[in-house]
Amino acid sequence: MHELSIMQALFEQLQGIAREYGARRVLKFRVEVGPLSNVVPELLYDAFMAFRAAEPLLEKAEMDLIRVPLRLRCADCGEVTEPQGFRMVCGSCGSKRVEVVQGEDLLLRDVELEIPEEALNEQNSES
Amino acid sequence: MSKIRRVEVLKHILESNEQIAASLKALWSKNQTFVVNLLSSPGSGKTTLLEATLPHLKDRYRVAVLEGDLETERDAERIHALGIETVQITTGGTCHLEAHMVKQGWEVLNDKDRMDFLFVENVGNLVCPASFDLGEHLRVVLLSVPEGDDKPAKYPVAFRSAQALVITKIDLLPYFDFDLDRVKEEALAIQPNLQIFEVSAKTGEGIRDWVAYLEAVRARLFDRPSP
Repeated sequence: MHELSIMQALFEQLQGIAREYGARRVLKFRVEVGPLSNVVPELLYDAFMAFRAAEPLLEKAEMDLIRVPLRLRCADCGEVTEPQGFRMVCGSCGSKRVEVVQGEDLLLRDVELEIPEEALNEQNSES
Repeated sequence: MSKIRRVEVLKHILESNEQIAASLKALWSKNQTFVVNLLSSPGSGKTTLLEATLPHLKDRYRVAVLEGDLETERDAERIHALGIETVQITTGGTCHLEAHMVKQGWEVLNDKDRMDFLFVENVGNLVCPASFDLGEHLRVVLLSVPEGDDKPAKYPVAFRSAQALVITKIDLLPYFDFDLDRVKEEALAIQPNLQIFEVSAKTGEGIRDWVAYLEAVRARLFDRPSP
């Protein structure tokens, strides 16, 4: 299962963001998971727990998984619909000329950071 | 004392893999190396399809293969036996290839900047490899007749992410309840642009069409006639 690889990539992103803001810890982050993002949310959660136990940056962190539905935009009628299963057909007019507008991605939406006063002062003096 | 701050990110989690893949693709396109990523369950016949395909290409093109495997080098030995340069990428248990692994494997090739075709045989797994762009020009998913005709519906991401589907072992059709029309219909419902081939490496059926397709896509991409 590739959820560990995904968690590794996610952890590296979080590390980068924490470094950028001089944060001590990540308190919370939200991940958007769609039906075509190829991730089993439960397995990603297990991978997160393993990282949390090993990485001080994440020791207080919570991960929120936001499950979003698959949504298609039709090139013919313009409607945005949610398909049945994975059949890429417009739910409104039946056209096959559809584009996936949501549900294929695996996104880090936002992060809540704990930033020590010293780092905040530094950032203020820089700006 | 410390403060809490919320930061908007909105980034793809596999962004770093995608960046490596994009730089590989740019390099390969510049070199006119057409790169094909083969994806399937274990035992669908990826190595066997390569064994049937490569003899049709190797006299006219410079061809190399990167073999992804969890542990052994058996597949690489089979390709090497055809007189084709092969680099083994042993993932050490990782269930898929990532762009950085492919980059390392490609760098080992003797004639890496002068290849016409580079085939990447992914680790046998119909789930995880689908998430990782390797910088390939063409992603091909294989489905063998004995696996059953319900695979596209069960593993939609692999089929969605591919440009071609090769149905393998069609010489076995008389022995299995495998509904070809159903597979095609379900695969096309998930990916309407999928090119579908039916082949048997054993009898050779369908291999020529498949090879002609590879040559045509390569020629179209690099905008010059095939030799």
